[in-house]
Amino acid sequence: MKMIFTMVRKELIDAARDKRSVMAGLYYAIGTPLIMCGLFMVLIGQLSSPEDLNIHIKNANNAPDLVRYLSNNGINHADDEQANKITLTISDDYAANMAKAKQAEVLLVADNSDEKLQKSINRLERQLQAYSSEMGSIRLIARGINPSITQPIKINVQDKATADSKGGMILGLAIFTMMYSVFISGMNLAIDTSAGERERNSLALLLSHPMSTRQLVLGKIIAVTCFALLGLVLILLVSKVAYPFVPWQQIGFTVNISQDFMGLMLLVGIPVALMAATLQLYVSFMAKTFKEAQSYLTMVLFVPLALSMAASYNIAPDVLQWLPVSGQQQALMDFIKGRDIPMMQLIVSSVATLIIAVALAVGLEKSLKSEKVVFGL
Amino acid sequence: MINRKFVNSTSTAQLRATGLCQSVTRVSRWVAVAAAILVANYSSAETTDTLVAEPAKTTTCYLDGLDEQFQCGKITVPENPKQVDGKQIDIHFAILPAIKNTHPDEALLAISGGPGQSAIENAAGFNRMLTKVRQQRDILLIDQRGTGQSNLLSCDDENMSVLSINDSELDTVAMTEACLASIDADVTQYGSNNAVKDFEAVRQFLGYQKLHLYGISYGSRMAQLYMRRYPEALATVTLDGVVPMQQSLVAIGSSIERGLNVLWRDCQSNSECQQHFPDLVNNYNTVDQLLATAPISQQVRDPRTNELAEFMLTRGKFTGAIRMAMYMPNIRALIPHAIHQAAQGNYQPILGIYTLTADSTDIALGMHSSVVCGEDIHRITEQMRKDAKESYIAGSMLDGLVKTCEGWPIPPEDDSFGQPIDSDIPTLLLSGELDPATPPNWGAMAQEKLTKSKHFIAPYATHGVAYQSCGNDLIAQLVDQGSLKDINGDCLQKDVRRSFYLNANTVEALPTVNTPNAIQTTAPANTAADKE
Repeated sequence: MKMIFTMVRKELIDAARDKRSVMAGLYYAIGTPLIMCGLFMVLIGQLSSPEDLNIHIKNANNAPDLVRYLSNNGINHADDEQANKITLTISDDYAANMAKAKQAEVLLVADNSDEKLQKSINRLERQLQAYSSEMGSIRLIARGINPSITQPIKINVQDKATADSKGGMILGLAIFTMMYSVFISGMNLAIDTSAGERERNSLALLLSHPMSTRQLVLGKIIAVTCFALLGLVLILLVSKVAYPFVPWQQIGFTVNISQDFMGLMLLVGIPVALMAATLQLYVSFMAKTFKEAQSYLTMVLFVPLALSMAASYNIAPDVLQWLPVSGQQQALMDFIKGRDIPMMQLIVSSVATLIIAVALAVGLEKSLKSEKVVFGL
Repeated sequence: MINRKFVNSTSTAQLRATGLCQSVTRVSRWVAVAAAILVANYSSAETTDTLVAEPAKTTTCYLDGLDEQFQCGKITVPENPKQVDGKQIDIHFAILPAIKNTHPDEALLAISGGPGQSAIENAAGFNRMLTKVRQQRDILLIDQRGTGQSNLLSCDDENMSVLSINDSELDTVAMTEACLASIDADVTQYGSNNAVKDFEAVRQFLGYQKLHLYGISYGSRMAQLYMRRYPEALATVTLDGVVPMQQSLVAIGSSIERGLNVLWRDCQSNSECQQHFPDLVNNYNTVDQLLATAPISQQVRDPRTNELAEFMLTRGKFTGAIRMAMYMPNIRALIPHAIHQAAQGNYQPILGIYTLTADSTDIALGMHSSVVCGEDIHRITEQMRKDAKESYIAGSMLDGLVKTCEGWPIPPEDDSFGQPIDSDIPTLLLSGELDPATPPNWGAMAQEKLTKSKHFIAPYATHGVAYQSCGNDLIAQLVDQGSLKDINGDCLQKDVRRSFYLNANTVEALPTVNTPNAIQTTAPANTAADKE
């Protein structure tokens, strides 16, 4: 036991010495939430219609009441370039047609593929529609008819979404980045401590010490796991601080990284980190060189990435609930949406994760007994 | 008294008529009521408890017109606070949770008008109007005792046909007594002062440290009483369509006359309206006098079912319909056309307006009477009696209320009730220049002893400024900043008036046509117009 501890200490000191490598590993954990928050801030700003929407209104004099109505709802005429992207033209015979209860025409010209405009265009259409139906109602009143008869059906909607679940999509993405940070944070150390150590020729030296291969493998796994978990803790802390700064309420919900969630995430993250560490060490040892290890790892990491991604977008078949990584991720998402955690699935996927970790560790132990692996032949 | 409207602009297909026309309630069913002050909002609330809560304070519920999940609950209070062990009643409340709750120990309490409207039934309107406030704070709605789900005191008479009834022949006293007999409640306990206690009890139950108040119409009286009784519980107050404590609701009669005069003025100063309806005031008086002689009975198609029906147009129904139409800017725009048509013998537009306002029953008349008969009827002044003699509307309102209160005896509040509120809580007062119920000078009256207050008059708003202008933004700003310092009412000056309907179809200037009726189209507002 003491040996393992010494081993872990040695690995951590080693890792800490290479500051650039440490930074590269943790950079992801710190940077991702910040970048995501920055992106969402910009996105929310762009996607929501400005409170005062300026558009270009042609022939405004043909329909002063309509123009004032729009203006009361925050849609005003302006002449600058931004306003010109949406043009509303009131036809010349607008008033004449209105007077005869014929359909009076207005023309709305805009580019609906411009994401920044979509909300604004919808809003303008909605207001025009509202004005139109208001006028329709009053025309009926003027004829002695109750306008409510034009709405034979009253549609009552009861949305089962809760305030938490509305932010679920965003949180799914956040959980995905957290899950991935477990894999990314320890990766550099894993390569360095395996393929790197071999390339520096210190691996053979290490093995010549009076310690078992198992101890050596465990020491390395624990060191890498520590790093992975350090990354997870960092990303959780940064997320906790950063997410509340995004004006989520503008799109109607909040994203709250609660302490309960942070605790659960950390707990669930431990088996995943163990698996990530063994997987990375295993692949790195199998590779012949440092460079090769990097390439292989990038490829291998695609698997958990895909699992996690599939779970977060809900595109995957149900079987994913039972698999490592995706199973934990689904459970976390259910938790954050306020549903019951699917305990069975969570346990099965966590156990599966641990089994994979143990299997890889055993494999590692075996392979380190081969000269081929130790000397990278 | 008052009313307020709610307009659903989100759903495009939504006819605003429902939203826009709120109801007034049996305007004519009861002279008394017609007379009454009120008004309203529509919607029928329905809350569905989906969770049987444990000892939780609230349960999940849905509110009419909104698809979100809200929190509803109730507290039990003694009907008579002096008899704690006596009859208990439930006070229901609903919370519209903040989107991002940055101030969990604060909420905005929105108080409905009427008296007699349910706040919870009007949740959709409050939700829309208070969107910005709700971004960061809960919105709290309480069904005041006697309204909505809180031991409703209603006096519905299902059998009455609103079309054919002759409201001038109704025996108000007898109807009131019949209603009183049918109600199982101590109606003397449903005044505003007891209701304020309930509100405070709900606040304490829910654990809010501070409340922001928004009171519309009669709700502004409730807000002022709250300021008087529990100032320590309040952060800010907004009074909209203000009823000052010094004012008896009965005075609304003369406000209606003022509202009409403002309408005549608006039409005359607008060249289109003036040209089309040069004799508007005469037309109104002609119809009014005609109906004063005898009601007009016509065969019509029922506005809703299209069945043949008898429509008895009385003076009360006619003036009542016009009065209610003045609450809503978009229906108000139809009034000149409706009057003009009526003068020519076409009562369809009046029927249309009347039916909008007559078939809604969202005012709890029993509660309405309990408030008015205890707090207002003994405050009728000589001036009000004088106005009532000169104006049919004011007269019939006063008469109706006096008769109602004969059958609905409530001990009067003492003189201190009518004292102005003396307070330094930041208070925003909003008045609409076109308001047919609570004119701007009422706001000024309420401001008398409010040391930290600002009073804004929205030139194009009727009753319920926050619903019709940027007034709701001012409320959000006040709630957010907790002070009036940076608030100015400039945005209220924006021209958002609605053009008058020139015929049954349009509000836009008609292309010049040479019909015999068309007066010369050149007449600007200041020539022919002023003479009328």
